[in-house]
Amino acid sequence: MDPTARKLPREFANRFAPYDDRTQPTMQVEGYKETLLRVPKQPPYKRPVTLSEITGPLNLAQKLDADLSDLSRTKEGGRALGQLIWVTGRLLDEDSSPVRGSIIEVWHANAAGRYIHKMDANSPFPEDPNFFGSGRCVTDNDGRYQYLTIKPGAYPVPNHPERWWRPPHIHLSVFGEGFMSRLVTQMFFPGDHLNAQDRILNSVPDRKGRERMIAKAVPMLELPRADVVGFSHDLVVRGHRATPMGL
Amino acid sequence: MKLHPTPSCTVGPFFPTHYFGAVDNDLTVAHATGGKPAMGQKIYIGGTVFEANRVPRWNGIVEIWQPDASGHFSHPNDPGHKKADPDFMGWGRRATEDDGYYDFITVKPGAYKDPLTGAMRAPHINVSIMSSGLMRRVVTTFFFPGEPLNAGDPVFNAIPDASVRERIVLKPAKMDRAPTDAVAYRLDIVLQGENETPFFLD
Repeated sequence: MDPTARKLPREFANRFAPYDDRTQPTMQVEGYKETLLRVPKQPPYKRPVTLSEITGPLNLAQKLDADLSDLSRTKEGGRALGQLIWVTGRLLDEDSSPVRGSIIEVWHANAAGRYIHKMDANSPFPEDPNFFGSGRCVTDNDGRYQYLTIKPGAYPVPNHPERWWRPPHIHLSVFGEGFMSRLVTQMFFPGDHLNAQDRILNSVPDRKGRERMIAKAVPMLELPRADVVGFSHDLVVRGHRATPMGL
Repeated sequence: MKLHPTPSCTVGPFFPTHYFGAVDNDLTVAHATGGKPAMGQKIYIGGTVFEANRVPRWNGIVEIWQPDASGHFSHPNDPGHKKADPDFMGWGRRATEDDGYYDFITVKPGAYKDPLTGAMRAPHINVSIMSSGLMRRVVTTFFFPGEPLNAGDPVFNAIPDASVRERIVLKPAKMDRAPTDAVAYRLDIVLQGENETPFFLD
């Protein structure tokens, strides 16, 4: 135990207030049957915020390989099938401050709408030997990230009588600056008609909340190369700019 | 400008595990390439993640975050972060296997006087669980058995019922996969149903 006195301004605790439920998805989602079996029945307990919750791993690149920002090719150079896309954006906190040096993990289905995973063994869609399906990148000093990949295909939700479709989407895993800023989310594509009926996207009650999950088109002339379709997508993690103590 | 957090979402049908390195769940190693071991008592924690009806949940993503053996976090929000063990990052991740099993190797976290509440935090490990079917992660905290500080810990005691609190106290156990130099504990995580794990408002 450390006997030295340590104090932090009380407002540090307010930086990680519980989420506003309207801006987050409901835990139970109609037609997403796994939610019935996995969501706890008991309501969560309210706890005070302590140092444990306002800290988190900052040096993850020591452990996780963050240099995987081109999902469109295998290590040997084989090009995945599908429309090449470039996705960029900034990782920000609730005060619009950039979150720097933070790892973003990316995974998605191939262009035909199939995941490289044993659970998709019965998919009606073909595998793509040149599509690995996941990558990682790290935010720069401006909080900016970017990665290159192919546009994922839509797929029907298996074993569901209404056969609803998942629109093309990209899974994102974000760490941010603390245990309370951890975020796993999905990015959707603008203008896709399947967005309107997706049970997952529409489980967020607030329209503006849903819009925060849909990427924006990047004008052609702003793209770094001529062979990609561009999308921009900012990600906001919970928390307010903590002036780092002792730095 | 004030922004709203991006909505959380399920990990989808699965979280890709070919991401995971060999020591992602070994916190005594701070670098993927190895390095000096972390200071402190090595411990092993293993258990099974269950969904409803005691069905093991495969590809449950269990992440942990904890202070080092002397109660310091390697994070600038900790006023004592300069004293943190440079060979201990405090974070680990494990995907449950087909039979729902997860495990971590780490060091026993130190207690600390919390600079926000003024309370003593008993040794504890923060736990986050994600899975298909969970639109938002669920979070809980593991505590250690027989710790006098548990009685005053503000998070532990946020659960009023003592029998429910017991469900997040690690149980000393003989664990086949524990390293021989580690003190071993078992704790199952029940997402839903009988003996459901208590979770905290995130």
